[in-house]
Amino acid sequence: MSAAVHVSGVGFWSPGFRDAAAWLAGARDPSVAIAPAEILPPMLRRRASALARMAAEVAVQATREEAAGLSRAPLVLGSAYGEIGAAVEMMREFQTDGGMPSPTRFHNSVHNAAVGYLSIATGNRGFATAVAAGARTTAMALLEAMALLEARREVVLVLADEPIPPPFASDPPYPAAAVAFRLTASPVCSTRSRLTGLRPGRADADPFLGVMAAHPCAGACALLGAVARGDAGSVSLGGPVGSAWIVDVAPVST
Amino acid sequence: MSGLERGDGFPITGYAVGNALGASSREVAKALALGRSGLRPCPFELPFETYCGQFPDVLAPVPPSLAAWDSRLARIALVVLEGVAGAVERACRRWGAERVAVVLGTSTGGILETERAFEAYAACGEVPAAFDLDRQHAFDALFEVVRRRTGAGGPGYVVSSACSSSGKALGAARRLLLAGLADAVLTGGADTLCQTTLRGFGSLEAISRRACRPFCAERDGTSLGEGAAFLLLERDGDGPARLLGVGESSDAHHMSHPHPQGVGARLAMKEALAQAGLGPEAVDHVNAHGTGTTANDAIEAGAIVALFGRSVPVVSTKGYTGHLLGAAAATEAALALLSIECGFVPASLGAEPLDPSVSLYLCLARREGRYRRVLSNSFAFGGSNVSVLLGEAS
Repeated sequence: MSAAVHVSGVGFWSPGFRDAAAWLAGARDPSVAIAPAEILPPMLRRRASALARMAAEVAVQATREEAAGLSRAPLVLGSAYGEIGAAVEMMREFQTDGGMPSPTRFHNSVHNAAVGYLSIATGNRGFATAVAAGARTTAMALLEAMALLEARREVVLVLADEPIPPPFASDPPYPAAAVAFRLTASPVCSTRSRLTGLRPGRADADPFLGVMAAHPCAGACALLGAVARGDAGSVSLGGPVGSAWIVDVAPVST
Repeated sequence: MSGLERGDGFPITGYAVGNALGASSREVAKALALGRSGLRPCPFELPFETYCGQFPDVLAPVPPSLAAWDSRLARIALVVLEGVAGAVERACRRWGAERVAVVLGTSTGGILETERAFEAYAACGEVPAAFDLDRQHAFDALFEVVRRRTGAGGPGYVVSSACSSSGKALGAARRLLLAGLADAVLTGGADTLCQTTLRGFGSLEAISRRACRPFCAERDGTSLGEGAAFLLLERDGDGPARLLGVGESSDAHHMSHPHPQGVGARLAMKEALAQAGLGPEAVDHVNAHGTGTTANDAIEAGAIVALFGRSVPVVSTKGYTGHLLGAAAATEAALALLSIECGFVPASLGAEPLDPSVSLYLCLARREGRYRRVLSNSFAFGGSNVSVLLGEAS
């Protein structure tokens, strides 16, 4: 239902896995516990939520080939539950004496906090947005990015979700994880794959996903794997029965 | 200029708005014409006093088919949706349901229900069995309720960027049409009052104890409100107005303070004009973000004057509805649309005595006239700015 876009950089972070290569190799490192997010100046980094830090980390990884990208590229964040950790922590604060939340936690609780922090750190005064679509979040954030690429050269697309905190924790549980794609309208030197045919449909689930299969952004993890392996074919981006989405991926040799 | 241009924009073939002023566009327009505020003492249990704009009706439960998604957000959305549901059904017949997309903005989602579930948990150690995070709390629940009620079968999602959410939903809707990814898009937004935003803005000392007074010398904070607004955009067709442009920018300055020179605000307004191929002189009226907080109003006034000069009539409608946060931008786009359709700009409530440092032409009384092109601003946490430009039907 849309024109082709090109995957020209990827990023991944999850506790135990510092980047896409580590995750794809299954090389867990227990010392990887919080995303370094070195692009955030120390004062911002101290205030940023865990979700904002992992989003910043993967965005930097995906734009490593094009260092200036983050200061000018449109930013799209897809997240099913966003800053739910900050939101539930505020509810705890309402139960305490005084009943008032921390003002920093309040501004950190907005869905666009991660792209806000990233735009401040990089001086990016351009387009930034944050979207949500439940189990279809990966597909719909990709749709938003594809529509932007009708008129823009590149988009940095980040998918991120953290575990739902108690007392609302989900079953089965899933780890925090963030995935990023630098998408370009035309192929560039670093282009690895071409994406076409984003549409409703269902493809075979990726057996590689493991615990990530329960993650709201499982589709982004599957797409990352397909791009890294140079697969050709349809990738399931996720969604409930009857309204799931797929995209066709093909390797590009440059 | 970007390639995403279509100077004459897209027709708005149906719209509906509901908030503290009334549950339908007609009631809202009547209150605006009479200069009647919907702000009242806030009924929420809070550690401070304030006013707010509560949705007026006793909200009936959602229909049985949507019972699993019941929430105050869903109830408000469904009541207001009545005003545009017929137009959406016509669009589904005309284009095919799968070509009708749904892009909505919300900042609160159903968090009011999550707060109640958390309170129950804090009191008795258990989350109520009826509470479902995906169907009450999650942003996607709003999409699901609207999709199921209208039958719109195209792609759909929620944009959530705090107080610019539903303006950015209009921007996304416009891009889906430009890219040919849909032939019609039901867009807009909904938000409810809740502890999170009342106490959150309270913690920032951004809430007035009384009804907010945007651009007034005595302003001391905003008032929050709740409600919904929906606009149906189509590739072509007849309607009361057209969406000419949606400018979007980032301040890249601070998470909760606007850039002191309003740099991002100006970028958003300029981008909206550029998309329409218009200069600032083409704009007849600006519906300001105008929250009533000291710094924000002064910065926005400076940005509007820098771009449009001192002769364009400006209003803040926050004194009527309160600040609808995630629903504010779509709501104020609908109010700007009412100015085009009904031929008046409402009085900017609470603005006297006007702040002498604000050199805007602020409408202190209702102003009749022909308004052909109107601009509506919304600025948000994270430095997220959106400016929506509407024009009269061609």
